[in-house]
Amino acid sequence: MSLFPATAAAKSAGRRAPRAAARRPASRGQRAAYGFIAPLGIGFAVFYFWPMIQTFYFSFTEFGPFGGHTWTGTDNYARVLRDVTVWQALGNTLVYCGIGLLALPLAIVVAALLNRRGLRGVSVYRALYFVPFVTLPVAVGLVWNWLYNGDFGLLNEILGWFGVDRHYWASDPSTAVFAIGAVMVWSTTGYYLIIIMAGIKSIPQDYYEAAELDGAGPLRRFFTITLPLLSPTLFFASVICMIQSLQTFDLIYIMMGEKNPAVGDTQSVVGLFYKWAFMENAQGAAAALAFLLMLLIAGLTYLQFRLQRKWVHYG
Amino acid sequence: MADTEIAGARTGPSGTRAAVPRPRRRINTGSLATHLVLSLGALVMVFPFVWQGLTALKSLAEVSRVPPTVLPDDWNWSSFDEVFTALPFREMLTNSALATAGRTAGQLVFCSLAAYAFARMRFRGRDVLFGLFLSVLMVPSSLLVLPQYDIIQQFGLLNSTPALFLPGMFSAFGTFLLRQAFLALPKELEEAARIDGAGSFRIFWSIMLPLIRPALAALAVITAMTAWNDLLWPLIVNTDPKAMPISAGLTSLEGQYETNYPVMMAGSLIASLPMLLVYVFLQRHFVQSVAFTGSKG
Amino acid sequence: MRRRTLLCSGLAAASAPVLAACSDGGGGTEGGGRTTLSYGMWDPAQVPGMKQIIAAFEKEHPDISVRIELTPWASYWTTLKTSMRGGTAPDVFWMNAVNFQLYAAHDVLEPLSEHIARDATPVDRHPEQLVRLYAYDGTQYGLPKDFDTIGLWYNKALFDKAGIKYPDTTWTWDDLRDAAAELTNPRERVHGFCSEMQRQIVLYPAIQAAGGYVLRDGHSGFGDERSIEGLRFLTDMIDRGWSPPQSAMVENIGRVRFWSEKAAMVHDLSAMAGQMYAVPALKDHGGVTVLPKGRERTTVIHGLANVISAKSDKKAAAWKFVHFMAGRRAAEIQAKSGVTISSYAGTQDAWLKSMPEFDLKHFIDMEKYGVPYPSSKNTAVWENLQYPLLGAAFSGKGGIEGAARTLGEQMDRALKEERS
Repeated sequence: MSLFPATAAAKSAGRRAPRAAARRPASRGQRAAYGFIAPLGIGFAVFYFWPMIQTFYFSFTEFGPFGGHTWTGTDNYARVLRDVTVWQALGNTLVYCGIGLLALPLAIVVAALLNRRGLRGVSVYRALYFVPFVTLPVAVGLVWNWLYNGDFGLLNEILGWFGVDRHYWASDPSTAVFAIGAVMVWSTTGYYLIIIMAGIKSIPQDYYEAAELDGAGPLRRFFTITLPLLSPTLFFASVICMIQSLQTFDLIYIMMGEKNPAVGDTQSVVGLFYKWAFMENAQGAAAALAFLLMLLIAGLTYLQFRLQRKWVHYG
Repeated sequence: MADTEIAGARTGPSGTRAAVPRPRRRINTGSLATHLVLSLGALVMVFPFVWQGLTALKSLAEVSRVPPTVLPDDWNWSSFDEVFTALPFREMLTNSALATAGRTAGQLVFCSLAAYAFARMRFRGRDVLFGLFLSVLMVPSSLLVLPQYDIIQQFGLLNSTPALFLPGMFSAFGTFLLRQAFLALPKELEEAARIDGAGSFRIFWSIMLPLIRPALAALAVITAMTAWNDLLWPLIVNTDPKAMPISAGLTSLEGQYETNYPVMMAGSLIASLPMLLVYVFLQRHFVQSVAFTGSKG
Repeated sequence: MRRRTLLCSGLAAASAPVLAACSDGGGGTEGGGRTTLSYGMWDPAQVPGMKQIIAAFEKEHPDISVRIELTPWASYWTTLKTSMRGGTAPDVFWMNAVNFQLYAAHDVLEPLSEHIARDATPVDRHPEQLVRLYAYDGTQYGLPKDFDTIGLWYNKALFDKAGIKYPDTTWTWDDLRDAAAELTNPRERVHGFCSEMQRQIVLYPAIQAAGGYVLRDGHSGFGDERSIEGLRFLTDMIDRGWSPPQSAMVENIGRVRFWSEKAAMVHDLSAMAGQMYAVPALKDHGGVTVLPKGRERTTVIHGLANVISAKSDKKAAAWKFVHFMAGRRAAEIQAKSGVTISSYAGTQDAWLKSMPEFDLKHFIDMEKYGVPYPSSKNTAVWENLQYPLLGAAFSGKGGIEGAARTLGEQMDRALKEERS
């Protein structure tokens, strides 16, 4: 492929002789582009798109637990839209999404602090902030449940010094969503930190040096260089953060268990999906639910892509 | 920034790394405050991991006592021995390593190629295709588990190492991440190379790819961790304990009524050590500033 | 076919196990050489015992070997269902009452009735209610391996401190209630009893003791007056403070409270005896007896069964193994391993003697009047209705009557749906 000169430029592609009726004819540059995409495209086609098409079909059927299905039309979709637990789960999920996005500013602040020039022990901090990644999810659940424990938890002990009454944080329907949301932020901050650090590290040092020569202080450098040049990364992080918090499930499953009186008030859409698909043998309805969720996520993602023009700066 | 001395060894094909002049170190109230904030945060981050370690040293009876104890009554190391007898640890670690390596390598190759095209090339249907690729992120991954299982079975790959990493080699997340990294690069870079007569693959490989090394490293770390900890998928495709990765193997210590937490925590500590080492190694070598030598003339 | 070969050869370089996977399904086949059976189970605690049974079986059948496939409880059923579709399910595997009818109704289990008749498997030596639990439409699909009943566990030290007599076989609900009141000590955060929202060990026994029922002839019993009375007995203790509310018990379950001597009495399974025994305080001053009598004397009996996958290509060998597992030798080995009560009559001595400090014989005596664990074709669906609906009433918010009636109606709807 490297034999073709000047392939990538869109401009040069445009300059080639246009084929009739085609706005942008398939040039060698175009072919090269398809070549770049093909390996991933084939993998996606086999392992994701084909399964998605199949599952989409199954969402119009009643699906036997061991295979086999009967066509039921839009029954599953009707069931999803009629079910009050779906709407409740959707509300919870949006709350999780709102809380989950708090991980981003946190990660930015930590990344900016870690990026301070001349700060000692940066690699130690980076390793420490990475630790939640290697902590067993069950351990995460156990520790936080212990912290929140109404009878013997540390949180109540500490709040007790300030005269706050003891409270069942993770099993009271009014606080459980927030208790889980806090753990969600805790567990994802390190993740976004890694992404944002990588973004910061891609910013050419020359800019900072120039700014420093101009006498810009650290705060100004952060706002005039770091933030704008980081915006493509931040955009990525915000899209991913939104998508992933709209798909929250594992943490809730580990922390809540099925007997918690707050189960209904904390259940997420994917949690409900999981229950239908894997516990109640309602795969068809579960698939319908998943596709409706996908529609919502796709809409919100599209919105984010539209809005990025207002704040994301590309090179 | 103590890692600059290694930088020389790891400089990519982009050319030499300019030594960044460092201002002299100032210990002032600002950096003290920074340390305070960062250490507090680090404490919060590390606490559950430490707890995991302490739990591994307790007895089963002590773990389930209320109110819970912080330090073990007696420091009891037997859980670590038990892990090694309960699980074929060496085989499982090998499976995990292979699955992780396969998935990470696959993502780095496939995603960077596609991401480059999406970010820096113009072609018909680009935005639609990109949207289509992103849709993979938007369905819960467990939705596709059944059909993916069928495909792996048709390939005759159940209970094999490739089964563990095949679907995971292709990632919309990675493509999106790297696309953003490519987009952030200045335009002049390619144009200069193109004038020199370099082809698109060469521009990609020797000019652009090295510049997004931090993003590649981030993707590698995140993919490796996800692959290493993956649970549902390995449990479903590889039911033979000998073909299981360690993440799935560990869960076989869970019972219906009772989980042997000390043994599980001990096993998970042992299992996570390689990943911690990999990360420390990776961050020293890759996660550092990129200098655009010669790019801006 | 061609594609598969290509793909295999391409990947074979990357990893050796693929080669085996490409050549055949892995594992041996019937006829010629040794047959290897896979045996699916979920309880790591029972692996040593099962390995001994397998060793004894392999000695008797040198041409068959059995390999255990241990899948954690949390993913056992998901994994099993998936592998059933692909035909990679274990040849023989553990089955419980909740899931049995679903599997039997979808013809993924091998019918055993003919085999049983031909080989004179000693089915009659196992509790009849249990055997019936694993029959569907008159055909037997599974053979019990063990059983569980529920007993009343108590802490003698706490009873001594309160100066009351220990529970015994004469106890009724009134005794339980009086004792719970006496034993509760808010200052030490000790509760007399744990009215935990736990269907098998607390809810169902209470419903049955009050003369109610959970499921009868395809209809829910939750709306039944006597069932409600049983549930009210439980929530009443929460309202009076003799039991922690459910919101507190999700954070520290009754079992953990009992182990930590913060609960004086709990219901718990016979299978938990070993765990109780491992807690030094309970080994020293823990005790167990039959459940106190309400209107009825009752307990819930449940047991696991071994079943054969209908998709297995080694059914003959698989049946030999299941037949062996239902016999006396296997039962005795299982009992000696001390984890569960073997379901074969008269083989439980070893289990009883393994924990002489506890009067475990009560668990076996209760088998006579044990009510089998209620189940239908899609049990999980109506079981999943219970906790969300009853949660508020079990958290001290009242309204158990309304909640139970609603639950009854919704469960009836779910039952109707599974029949259609």
